[in-house]
Amino acid sequence: MESYMVFVANTARKILPVGILDRVILLCLIVGVGCSPSVDNSASVEGEEDSVYAIPWEEIEVYMKAAPSPVQVALWLRQEKVPFLREPLHDPTLSGRYTGLQGAANLGIYLTDMAYAHATSNYQEAYEYLSSVNRLAARYGIDDIFSLERIRALERLQDKPDSVQRLMSQYYSEVQARLEEMGQQPMLRHMILGGWIESLHITLALLERDSSRQPLAEMIALQKNLLPLFIKVYGVDTASSVASRQVLMYLVEVQRVLNNLTIGGEEMKATPQVQKGLIQIQFQEGARLSATQLLSLKQPVARLREFLIKV
Amino acid sequence: MNQRFFLGYILLLGGYRLAQTPCKQLIPTCREAYMEDFQWDGRYWRAELYGGETAEIYYTFFRGLRYRLIPCGSSSTQSPPHLRIYNANRTLLLDTRQQGERRHWDLELSSTQLLVIELYYPTGEGCAALLVGHRVPMVEASAR
Repeated sequence: MESYMVFVANTARKILPVGILDRVILLCLIVGVGCSPSVDNSASVEGEEDSVYAIPWEEIEVYMKAAPSPVQVALWLRQEKVPFLREPLHDPTLSGRYTGLQGAANLGIYLTDMAYAHATSNYQEAYEYLSSVNRLAARYGIDDIFSLERIRALERLQDKPDSVQRLMSQYYSEVQARLEEMGQQPMLRHMILGGWIESLHITLALLERDSSRQPLAEMIALQKNLLPLFIKVYGVDTASSVASRQVLMYLVEVQRVLNNLTIGGEEMKATPQVQKGLIQIQFQEGARLSATQLLSLKQPVARLREFLIKV
Repeated sequence: MNQRFFLGYILLLGGYRLAQTPCKQLIPTCREAYMEDFQWDGRYWRAELYGGETAEIYYTFFRGLRYRLIPCGSSSTQSPPHLRIYNANRTLLLDTRQQGERRHWDLELSSTQLLVIELYYPTGEGCAALLVGHRVPMVEASAR
């Protein structure tokens, strides 16, 4: 049965254009599970086995990596000189209570919180989150990557943000490589999902605080392109995992809200210029969405995040 | 019979490892050689490309940061892989092949965008990888 479903999904993928495939996934969801996600306690992501993929892992990986890494988000936030907000961040003391896929999602969430705290020079908070990461990493046999020795090394470098980011990049890459080597791709997928949702959640909170920050609005508007990729990643994996189906429903809910927003300049004219190995691409300014419009995403994003962090 | 099977398995495994090693080695080699003062984002994309195949990379680029794209590879023709850069709607923006051969390209965008990058060999085949680094542009960095 499973192989039949994989065959059907693969065939569908080959014969249907991407947009149509998305609609088919959406239709299946609506017909099969209902239109609006509701939190089902039995469908917790904790400890659940994942999963059968209808497309090769390499393809899933390509879509997942479209989301910016916590390290990249941190550098961007540092560059934007955003303030530190404690309220939207996750509770670091809960890290010991997560296991399985939920733990992986929270690993991504804590990594992003850590990167944000560090980017805004809140080192004490950053190390609290790093300790949470260390506790969670122990569950997956990757705690050597965030060992106390390494945490101390990061602590010694706290006034050198570039060095810290360099080391964090290295550790982040080690986590990915290790999870893949251990055949823990579903964990990696949830970790990236968690990190991405947390960066969106923080950006929305920052925009709510200061609606005049255009770069934050741009980052949120960009989700219109990113979201279909994540929906694809979770849409191809509904064969056996209830948790994945639940995540997919929440993602579809975010997309529904996003689709109701009219984002102007769908096909923004771009002018590339190349000089001495530097490519500069100038994008024509499109119609901008107001912060109020973008903040309508806050609730559906919060609902997905709540699903990932609930204990 | 069992011995023959075991020997075959060892040979197969050895061959697989041998084929993987240069490809795996690409990442640290290219990072070491071309990342310079850019910060690696901790991720990489790697693929074996045969007969005109391409590898696709989706990446979020932020306005205000400068990126370094390092296409590296070990192809049968010894030339590095090229990049085609598309917007999120798959409109081709640039093909680096038209810009000559370089070991790395720097990139800046006027607004935050999701871009699709295609890694390919015009001729030949082999392993190809892409590394991405980022940093604050020099002018702003020196003003800090």
